[in-house]
Amino acid sequence: MSEMKESKKALFPMTKKEKRLLFDPLNDNNPVTVQVLGICSALAVTSMLLPSIVMAIAVTFVIAFSNLAISLMRNYIPKQVRMIVQLVVIAFLVTIVELTLKAYSYPVYKQLSVFIGLIITNCIVMGRLEAFAMANPPWQSFLDGIGNGLGYGIILIIISFFRELFGRGTLLSGTPIEMKIIGAGSDFWIDTTTNSWFGWYTNNNLMVLPAAALFILGMIIWYQRSKNPKLVDIS
Amino acid sequence: MEEFLNIFIKSAFVENLVLSYFLGMCSYLAVSKTVKTASGLGLAVIFVLGITVPINWLINRYLLSENGILGMDLTFLRFILFIAVIASMVQLVEMVVEKVSPALYNSLGIFLPLITVNCAILGASLFMISREYDFSESVAFGLGGGFGWFLAIVAMAAIREKLKYSDIPAPLRGLGIAFIITGLMGMAFMGMMGIDPAIFFSGK
Amino acid sequence: MNSSKYIIGFTALLTAIVALVLSLMYTGLKEKHKQNELLFEKRAMLGAIQDKAGIDISTMKDKDIIDFFTKNIEQVVVDTKGNILSPEEVEKHGYKGGKAENIDLKTEMKRTFDQRMLPVYIYKSKDGNKIYILKLFGKGLWDEISGYLALSSDLNTVVGASFDHKGETPGMGAEMKDNPKFPVQFKGKKIYDKTGKLVSINVRKGGAVDPDHDVDAISGATLTSNGITDMLLHSLENYNNYLKKLKQK
Repeated sequence: MSEMKESKKALFPMTKKEKRLLFDPLNDNNPVTVQVLGICSALAVTSMLLPSIVMAIAVTFVIAFSNLAISLMRNYIPKQVRMIVQLVVIAFLVTIVELTLKAYSYPVYKQLSVFIGLIITNCIVMGRLEAFAMANPPWQSFLDGIGNGLGYGIILIIISFFRELFGRGTLLSGTPIEMKIIGAGSDFWIDTTTNSWFGWYTNNNLMVLPAAALFILGMIIWYQRSKNPKLVDIS
Repeated sequence: MEEFLNIFIKSAFVENLVLSYFLGMCSYLAVSKTVKTASGLGLAVIFVLGITVPINWLINRYLLSENGILGMDLTFLRFILFIAVIASMVQLVEMVVEKVSPALYNSLGIFLPLITVNCAILGASLFMISREYDFSESVAFGLGGGFGWFLAIVAMAAIREKLKYSDIPAPLRGLGIAFIITGLMGMAFMGMMGIDPAIFFSGK
Repeated sequence: MNSSKYIIGFTALLTAIVALVLSLMYTGLKEKHKQNELLFEKRAMLGAIQDKAGIDISTMKDKDIIDFFTKNIEQVVVDTKGNILSPEEVEKHGYKGGKAENIDLKTEMKRTFDQRMLPVYIYKSKDGNKIYILKLFGKGLWDEISGYLALSSDLNTVVGASFDHKGETPGMGAEMKDNPKFPVQFKGKKIYDKTGKLVSINVRKGGAVDPDHDVDAISGATLTSNGITDMLLHSLENYNNYLKKLKQK
């Protein structure tokens, strides 16, 4: 038994608690569907897959490193300026993200525009700082940050998958691996102008609107809580 | 005066921060369970927005822009300065509310300081910048936006209070149905998009 | 730990570190930012003539765009009276470099009509004819909209157009940029009527009626479409005297 544990330890150099920090936010403690955090950006950028993926990466970066920074400083931050210090660290990291995107991925920068700044107010960042980083060691805070970032990212990707597919008929539009799945034109896999089965299909314009993201989120919550009964009535 | 009212009405209804732009969702969904807490938070938001948007306008114009006192383009410090202003205002509001109405302070609990990270607050300041409002327009925008947020959260709270007596499937209860309602309200507000309130004033 | 001296010291140190790092990053990346902005504008501008020039901007790499631009595009700055301005005069408005690509049309449109400086890009096509690309700027439903209109050497017929926006609704106003079928409509339209008056192009709700001067509006995006009509008229007015002067030559 202990030999199994030893070999497992060699494969996954993480304790059970650390694995929980990393994987819980993906389901049981999902920042969006359970903690009710990070909603605003989940609605705004999810009209297409590419900005959602970039946003998820940016947010994960900010949560992880602000968790790390605050956790390192946690015993030195004066009580009276606690919130301001947290915000300065967050704003600092977000500005770094913005300057970097503007220099190395300009088209994405233009698409995300005002929402990059809004990462500062993404409640997940502040929420995790208060709930975890202020009271826990740096490595674990960092992992908690990554875990929550991934949990947020997965929700974003699910929403934008449906919104882009049914709203525009494409996936990963804007990348070199764009998949034009269904639409009016010969460059689509299913060409509605010539296909006999799908001639009636037009893109669902509702999906393009942010309201659709709310509906999809409601559906995700419905699904998640019916599979995971302990989450019912939790929020 | 007309321009002021125009922007006030536009930012409160036609371009409602919550229902048209979906900003400030987190506290909107979390605090909209009862009308009482919702209106308390809504009032606080009006106050914070009405003050931070004009102050941030002043900061942007006189400190950060190239024509400002410092004479350098410091716009990359925008996020940090804006958020510092917002955090200070919220701290102030928190202290005032605690003194003036301890009951409200207790019922709002953690959500009062959470106004600081309410995306609607920072978002409003950022919109003010990108739309290049002048000073009086930014005042109208701040107050109107806050008022719109107040209306939205109180309306939502009223609906959710009534919903308590409905027969909703268990997994959908609470947050799930709140999302769907917000989506429906958002769609309704989309119908108002593009209305220019000025038509009501000029009588055309 | 919580003495005033400590609090002040801590915040001062934090502020110093943050300010230092950000200033370094900002100054270090400023050039790259500027290049990216210029490149983005070049792509948008070339988008208006991609058919005519036989290029596809969506597949061209950044280097190719810059190469094509340097080889084939002449930049000129004009004022609203139709005079060509020298780089020194352009720099008076604060545009370092004094070229068309340095001009911020948004700022210029805020000036009074007489004071505006306007970018013109001239492309010499393979058949020897010159194509004149003019820049457009206006207000959409939510935020700014912009674009480029390419005129053939008769300075009246449109050979291409490209549009951009800052925050129009995806699926509706945003179609001005995302849907290639929209700008394609502009080909062959004329901006002057038979009497020589600048009538611009009307993005008409309900569909185009005048074959020379109308295009179909974007369905469901009346206000954005109206914004585009306004943008075209006001931006083209800037160039009216310049175009007239060229026609006389």
